[in-house]
Formats: sequence, C-alpha cells, structure tokens
Amino acid sequence: MTDSSPRSSAPADETAATKQGIKIVGFLCNWCSYGGADTAGVCRFKQPTDLRVVRIPCTGRMDPLFIAKSLIYGVDGVLVSGCHPRDCHYAVGNFYARRRMEAFKAFLPFMGIDTQRFKYTWVSASEGQQWQKVVTEFSEQIHRLGPNPGVRLRSGDNSKVSSGLR
Amino acid sequence: MLENDRNQLHKLVEEALPELDMMIGWAESCDPLQTTPVFIRDAKSISKLTLGPFCSQNLAGYLVKPPALDAPPKPDAKPIGICVKGCDSRSLVALIQEKFITRDRVRIFGIPCRGTVDFRKVAQRVPLANVKSATMEGDSLVIDDSGTPLRLDLEEVLARKCLGCRYPNPVIQDVVIGQEAKPRSSSLAATYRDVAAMDAKPLEERLAFWQSELDRCIRCYACRNACPLCVCQDRCIVETREPRWLTQRVGIPEKFLFHFIHAMHLAGRCTGCGECERVCPMDIPVTLIKEKLNKIMEEMLGYSAGLDPEAVPPLLTFNPGETEI
Repeated sequence: MTDSSPRSSAPADETAATKQGIKIVGFLCNWCSYGGADTAGVCRFKQPTDLRVVRIPCTGRMDPLFIAKSLIYGVDGVLVSGCHPRDCHYAVGNFYARRRMEAFKAFLPFMGIDTQRFKYTWVSASEGQQWQKVVTEFSEQIHRLGPNPGVRLRSGDNSKVSSGLR
Repeated sequence: MLENDRNQLHKLVEEALPELDMMIGWAESCDPLQTTPVFIRDAKSISKLTLGPFCSQNLAGYLVKPPALDAPPKPDAKPIGICVKGCDSRSLVALIQEKFITRDRVRIFGIPCRGTVDFRKVAQRVPLANVKSATMEGDSLVIDDSGTPLRLDLEEVLARKCLGCRYPNPVIQDVVIGQEAKPRSSSLAATYRDVAAMDAKPLEERLAFWQSELDRCIRCYACRNACPLCVCQDRCIVETREPRWLTQRVGIPEKFLFHFIHAMHLAGRCTGCGECERVCPMDIPVTLIKEKLNKIMEEMLGYSAGLDPEAVPPLLTFNPGETEI
C-alpha cells in the first residue's frame, strides 16, 4: 500500500491462513471507493491486512482480464469497488463496468475458477464504515476458501480427461 | 440438387463479376473432404467456385484481413463479392455493426447450409488417404474409399457447431442460392447443450477438464488468426510487449490467460461460427469457451450477436435501469 492509502490494523483473530499470507487485490475507483477506504483509515476502523490496493481512475477502466490474470496466477481474491450506479465521476463508467463484471462473474466458474474469489461492490467516499464491512466480509470469505490453487497442474495430475466433444 | 445450386452460383457470379472488385468463395481442393478459399478476379476462374457440405471456412474474416483489405478502400472502390453460409453471414453483420466494413462494400451471395462436415470426424472412421470421393445423399455422407461405399450418418460427421445451428440461412444477403434450410435447433437449450453439460459438472472437474485440454495448446494463435472478429491484428495484446500481458513461458497459466483474453474480447461479439475450433491443430474445443459467454449474453442481456446490423454489442453499451443483471 502507498503512504496515502488507508492504514489498517491487524485483524482481531489471526487465522492460519493469514500466516500463510492470503493476498487479496483490490481495484478501487479513485473517486469513491479509494476515498471510502481512506475515510475508513482516518476514522481508525479496524480492517484486515490482506488487501493490496490498486487505484484505478474509474471502474470503467476495469478490464475483466485484470481479474482473470490475478486469479490465474494465484492471487487469492479480487475485490473491485467503485462509485454507486448514477454516482460515477465520469457519469457512466460504472454502468459499463457492471455489465462486464456480471458477465465475467458468470463466466469464471465455467473455466473452473471459484467465483467466490471475486467480488465487486459499490462504496462511496463517505462510507468508511461500509468499506470496513465490505473488506472484512470479503477477507473472511477468502480465508474460509483458503489459498487459491490457481490453474497450475499439480504433479501426478496429468491424466488426460477426454473431452468427448469431437 | 447441389449441381443445380453450383450452376446457379456460377451464373450469378458471372453476371455480377464486372461490377465486383473480386469474388471470395470456396473451391475444391486436392482433398475431397475439404475446400479451399478462392479469390476470383477473372471470368475464367468462376468455374472453380463450389458450395456444399465441405465449405467449412468462414470467408467473412478475409474482408478485414489481407489480401482483401491490404489498404483502406478507395471511395470509388467496387464492392467485394462473398459467399456466406448462415453462420458466416452473422460474422458479416457483426463486422458491419462495428463499422469494419460498410454494407455497400460487399455483395453477399447467401447460401443456405445443411451443415458442414468436420473432416477430423470422418478421419476417425476411415483413413483420410483412402477417401476417393465423398457425396451427400439425403441425411448421410457416402464415402468412396475404393471398397464398398461407406455411409456415415450426418449427425456423426457434422462439425460440433452445426449440430445446434439455429441460423442455417443467411441473415443478410443480396441473392440466395438454393433452397431454404431447416434449422437443426430452435431452442437455446439445444444450441448450448455442450455448455450445459459442462455446467453440470462440479467445479474441480471443470478445472481438470480445461487444464487437460489447454495443456495441449501450443499458442500458435491459429484460433485468433482465423476469427473473423479478432480485428486488432498486429496490435493484439497477447503479443505486444507494452502492455505485456503474456510472456513466452509455456506454462498452463499463460495458456489459460490467452484463452481468457480471446474469449473476453469476443464477449457479446462472438457469433459462434466455430472457426477457432475448426482451425485448432491440437483439437481443443475452444469454441466452447465462447459458447458459454454467448449463452451468458443471451440469458443475461437478451442479445445474440450478428443478427441486427443496427444493434450495439451489449458490452459496448449500458442501461442505467438494470439494477439486477
């Protein structure tokens, strides 16, 4: 996290997964959720430490492939957060994002990736408390799922599954 | 019947050729189970043109890739003639929709299609080198391999995408050649039955399936090159260094990410023409990935790509009112 990003204290109960280093990537819109996270920090709300924040100019910048790449290469969870619908700084960015996220979310499990590892939500700059709730809940969810196995073949798992399609 | 259609095609092309820059169609190749694309500029070559169940290539892609489009068209350029099946015509509509070509730039020869033969399925039954000729007789394919003629049921040898085809007749055309064809499927469920079969499996099995399928991928990018809607050409992000999405490593994650990139860039645009799967040298069911996204688009946003030239692909637009999509 950068210096300007919200400071967070350690979660109350440190689970085994924390020690293994659960990594969650958060893509936050500069105008709302990034501010919301900042508000949460300024108010000294307790937050989990698993989140790495990437600041994006708008959720409209959010390419679903950012999420794909993260999850394929073994990031444990991806959280995307932006302005509430109709509150976008650029008027319509999050409307585009909403369709993309929804389609991507429905598509992920088809490729064998757990859709619970991805969440998108809307948090405004003033909603520090809401941000704390979102990030805590999502972090707990990822801790329950455990580390992301990714898509790599485990050794001894090389047996060919016949597609039966041709 | 096929002979009549072919003669009709030759006649129509002969009439139209003086007004055309070139004619893109299929011609017989050395292999009786496959045709090859031809680019015709002179009347002598018209007799090469053919149609039928072996014309599996989607020619629409040639309109946005060389040699048909080496340079931006001049304003006074003559239109290009092109033969399209039902699925190919949807690719054309998608290209018109996204303004890669204009409607008046193409003269469309629509060909109702009764399904295309996947020669790899035939190869499983009879060694390809033995096949002397192949003809359609009703609902079966008759293979002459210099022994007793072998009759194969059409369902067994048709390409996978053809089995659930809803649009065998061109959705856009200037002239039609031959009789209207009957759709093989009229419902979403029949069209997407392979997707449904995958969805019914548990998550771990799906992952294992794709790991094993995509493990074979050699990243030749044939699927991308054959795709009529992969229009970024030399700016494709799987090959650019800046931004650098993919490395040259040969691991499974790279292969997954490549197919994610291909699929997501086609989300809401893919017309399901099946070219990616047809050209795959490793027999990976790559179209299945796009079929899932097409299904999501139809169910979530009620949109099928390549039907209406005026429509906007759903991921390139939005609707503020949809709170629960």
